[in-house]
Amino acid sequence: MTLTRSFTYVKPGSLDEALALLAEHGRAAAVLAGGTDLISWMRDDLVAPEVVVDIKGLPGLEAITLVDGTLRLGALATFSDVLRSPVVSAAFPVLAEMAGVVASVGIRNRATVAGNLCSAVPSNDAGPVLLAADALVQIAATDGERTIPLAEWFRGPRRTALRGGELVTRITVPLPDRHGGCYLKLGRYRGEDLAQASVAVLALPGDHYRIAFGAVAPATVRAAAIEESLEGRPLDEATLAAAADLVPEVISPISDLRASAGYRTHMCRVMLRRALRAAAERLADDGPPYGERLL
Amino acid sequence: MSGIVGRADRANAMEDLRHVGRSEVRIDGLDKVTGAAVFVDDMDFGPDLLHAAIVESPHPHARIVSIDTSEAAALPGVVRVVTGADFPFTFGLYMQDRQVFARDVVRFVGEQVAAVIARDPRTAREAARLVRVEYQERRAVFDPLEALATEAPRLHPGLGDYPHVPWFFPEPESNVAHRRRTIRGDLEAGFAAADVVLEDAYRVPRYAHCALEPHVVVARQDRAGRLTVWSASQSPYTQRHVFAQALEPLGLSHQDIRVITPYVGGGFGGKAGVSMEILGAVLATAVRGHPVKLRWSREQEFYNTYQRQGLVARLKVGARRDGTITALEHHLFWDAGAYVEYGANVVNAAGLSATGPYRIPAISLESVCVYTNLPPGGPYRGFGYSEFSFGIESHMTRLARAIGMDPVEFRRRNAIVEGDLLPYGALMNPSGLHEAIDRAAEAIAWGEEESPREPGHRVGKGFALFWKAPAMPPNASSASFLKFNEDGSINVTVSGMELGQGYLTVMAQVVAEVLAVPPDKVRVETPDTDRNPYEWQTVASHITWSCGNAVRAAALEAREKIFQVVHAAHGLEEGSLYLEDECVRCDTDPDFCLPLRDFVVAGIETPDGTYRGGPIVGSGMFMPEFSSTHADPATGQGGHPNVHYTVGAAGIILEVDPETGKMEVRRAALAVDAGKALNPALLEGQVTGGLLQGLATVLYEDMRFDEAGRLLNPNFTDYKIPTAHDIPDEVVPIIVEVPQPDGPFGARGVGEHTMIAAAPMVADAVEAAVGIRFNEMPITAERVALAVARREEPDTWAST
Amino acid sequence: MGHRVTLRVNGEQWDLDLDPAETLLEALRGRVGVKSPKVGCERGDCGSCTVLLNGQTVRSCLVLAVEADGAEITTLEGIGCEGLAPVQRALLEHNSFQCGFCAPGIVLSAVELLAAHPHPTRHQVQEALAGNLCRCTGYEPIIQAILAAGEEP
Repeated sequence: MTLTRSFTYVKPGSLDEALALLAEHGRAAAVLAGGTDLISWMRDDLVAPEVVVDIKGLPGLEAITLVDGTLRLGALATFSDVLRSPVVSAAFPVLAEMAGVVASVGIRNRATVAGNLCSAVPSNDAGPVLLAADALVQIAATDGERTIPLAEWFRGPRRTALRGGELVTRITVPLPDRHGGCYLKLGRYRGEDLAQASVAVLALPGDHYRIAFGAVAPATVRAAAIEESLEGRPLDEATLAAAADLVPEVISPISDLRASAGYRTHMCRVMLRRALRAAAERLADDGPPYGERLL
Repeated sequence: MSGIVGRADRANAMEDLRHVGRSEVRIDGLDKVTGAAVFVDDMDFGPDLLHAAIVESPHPHARIVSIDTSEAAALPGVVRVVTGADFPFTFGLYMQDRQVFARDVVRFVGEQVAAVIARDPRTAREAARLVRVEYQERRAVFDPLEALATEAPRLHPGLGDYPHVPWFFPEPESNVAHRRRTIRGDLEAGFAAADVVLEDAYRVPRYAHCALEPHVVVARQDRAGRLTVWSASQSPYTQRHVFAQALEPLGLSHQDIRVITPYVGGGFGGKAGVSMEILGAVLATAVRGHPVKLRWSREQEFYNTYQRQGLVARLKVGARRDGTITALEHHLFWDAGAYVEYGANVVNAAGLSATGPYRIPAISLESVCVYTNLPPGGPYRGFGYSEFSFGIESHMTRLARAIGMDPVEFRRRNAIVEGDLLPYGALMNPSGLHEAIDRAAEAIAWGEEESPREPGHRVGKGFALFWKAPAMPPNASSASFLKFNEDGSINVTVSGMELGQGYLTVMAQVVAEVLAVPPDKVRVETPDTDRNPYEWQTVASHITWSCGNAVRAAALEAREKIFQVVHAAHGLEEGSLYLEDECVRCDTDPDFCLPLRDFVVAGIETPDGTYRGGPIVGSGMFMPEFSSTHADPATGQGGHPNVHYTVGAAGIILEVDPETGKMEVRRAALAVDAGKALNPALLEGQVTGGLLQGLATVLYEDMRFDEAGRLLNPNFTDYKIPTAHDIPDEVVPIIVEVPQPDGPFGARGVGEHTMIAAAPMVADAVEAAVGIRFNEMPITAERVALAVARREEPDTWAST
Repeated sequence: MGHRVTLRVNGEQWDLDLDPAETLLEALRGRVGVKSPKVGCERGDCGSCTVLLNGQTVRSCLVLAVEADGAEITTLEGIGCEGLAPVQRALLEHNSFQCGFCAPGIVLSAVELLAAHPHPTRHQVQEALAGNLCRCTGYEPIIQAILAAGEEP
């Protein structure tokens, strides 16, 4: 028996119905999309919802579209959807690069990008790329909608800005006209693993860089200090070394079962340098193909 | 045996084999690719099936003050709650130090204290949480060296009273459950004669088997009192025997117990002997008439089955500059866990062989089995040899470098050959060790530089030898029954287990060879102790050799009966008859051809209408009659505890990214002397699979415990076993065939051996690549990267 | 408490009354009697419970059975009903499996892969299998078989 606690399962037919259910049950309700986190958390008694609201099938939440330079990811878009999306591969390929290193096919077919943000484990994969890209989380509730910048989303391990009764409907990413990106994820081996550390870099024309780290702080962190140090400078060895030297100021890794703080810090320096180079080369259309192993 | 000479035997000469030695398709392959293969968890037992859940100790060492089951028993759906008071039984394979349920004392986190039997698994689990156990905590000890200290808490005050096999030497008043000494030659003189003496210590952590199928048992004691146990096991007969011993107070003996084992989803030693299955057996007696099912969760699979024991090894080896090893001293301290009923024999096996496959005139081995408050250690593919080989083989390379000799050449000079003295004084069996060394070295172009594929990477090569003998009681045996069916097909019953190694297929090939039928007309049945004849256990890589001999004997007996019938009906001399393509043929009458299917059940009709013969059956058995554990306890000399050794050599080409520590196996070559490869494809499967299992132990696996003895990574999220991405770019299996004189068609076992060399050769390759020697497993990317970083930037790392 | 759920399993319709807490894996094994999806870890790590849900592999231990209402579910029992599928034949002939416990999941992952990429590369095969743990084989014989199946016209 995987799940030992009883709960009520509801599958609303419309967004309004879903929001009403969430409003009614508040924190006692859990939203079910892919379920890959929710069901394992229920199994381990980390959560014990009384009502499980299955939002699959709600109209409009699956689509991945590009509207006026903004990428829109419906809350039901899975990592496999991202990997297969021609829109993503043309306009924001680093997102597919990230999706390609999430777990394995059977999980990616089910797990959603929005769900990954909502689970908000420190090692989440969606966070760094989306944070570096200044993504926004669109939220609906019975009393209206609101938008939260991803920079204000993560509040700690498994904690987000989402309130009881609210539902994430979409993630929007205002895409820079031209960019090169890179997502590097450190695992204990090549196969499926949770990130020991990760870094996302966007390189923009004019030597602008946007950088975020995952799994090296209670939440995904933006590396503003490093971005500033790089601002307007071509990526030579000295610049890269200076940027790497700032890593300890940006991250606050812990030592745990998966890696020591020392290795996490060391690897964030290594990965930052490699990701910066790859992103800059990709911006110049001269980089390794997205998805190529750089670790 | 038959005593028949003639063309039949000529057909079994090595050069003329039809089925043995070929890469036949597995006879269980179709079951597995279609989903037809039934495992214990797949069996249905009807609506009266009950489910058990276990109450487990949260403490590594504590006295049980009281157990209150009343609340659990009152939960609707609960049928029975039982504790050690209901079943105050001990059990164990080699030493009876284990309790069915902890009674007065718990000795590891997760140990079973009580059980709830309920109508459904959810109720059982819920009720298990309601059992109130009051504990008084005791000081615990987790490190074998600390456990040896006089002030260490003693885990088993009753050690002196535990029944055990005669080749164990427990030391009551301490935590030493067994100490095996093997001493030969003048050690002092040996070290004095050496130009270089190298001393160091090596540490190997605990490992988990990680068979994909968790342990599961279903048991039912019927109204007439008969106990049937369906279990995912490597050892149906040994289980029956241990159950009969443990349940003797209930009036049960062997004839009252039946163990049935269908397909098993991997074992690797973890399903040998008896672990959680004893719970199924006793619980069934508490709810007579009902089948009771107990299936371990993946977490329980990690913390309450056998684990590979941890090892701290202190090694001292001396050599002369000409490359001759003069003396070896090896102290092995095993973290054997809370109960050592099986694990002590791992310690024993290591204590007999921890020289590695080398000719050394003076040796002293001391292998110490130490109780700790961690889960019970036990058998794991390699049975102690992987553990001690990490130190031995690392040391051999280092010693070679210290005297300025190529490490492969150093091994060539000292590698054991047929007739050399084994550590315990008997003689080494025929072996192709030198051929294996040469071929493995050639396969990785030993001595040639390789350039890295990526700039900044470094490439290193590693090399290691391995050997292993089956660790068995001297009278471990195998038996087989065989019968013909009306269509000339054959059923063979044995009690070895198909764990995936391809055993059923190889047994079918042996029968096919002797009886001249295609292997796919031979069904080899999984065990049922009521029907299938005796087999000790499917462990020790002995089954091809031992059961292969038994099956061959059964087939030869059937063949003899066939010839007798043909002789009786047709008057042809038995010595002139032979089998070919499912027919009996005759040397002296080329036109004679009698299809087996025409008579192997019906018999042969004679001119007067009467029949000769009848159903053809055969039986065979094998037991080595030269093995003995009688030896001087002080030196281990005088006995013949091991039947033979299988040997080999392996090499690796490893590419290392010194910045990240990431290692990629570009090529791994492993040469093993199988005596005779009965099915080369399946043997290569053992190489590919075993090598990867070994590589994982050195590259990323290990069991991590916190300071309270709790396992921190009891799942595949954090105990990483390799995925399809984590394989060598290339594996080169090399089969050496120097026949084993008493093996079926010359075969000896190889199953465990393929993982033994992996760890030390990686350690070698890492040193060759980045110049850092690691004496502790695993050698993770993290450890490599940090060691390199500390060396390159000592200032940055001074504070860490 | 019970939910009326319709599952289509290997082409057969099953109308079941299910507790929402039942996983798809439990419902398939316990209610439908399809035993090829195995219980290996119950937390999505091992892939032994892999089934195809509307043509995509999922971990049936991480799917509630009620979620699969109306879905088309394929297990190994539903592959190659009329003789062996080419990939099954290749796996058989390559002696790819040892203990066979991972086989149901691996066959389904291969089926999904070959449907999308009839002639996969080695890397694609590895990626498709990466979520199905196998402790016996070292994967190489499985990879070789799937590559061989992908080479057939």
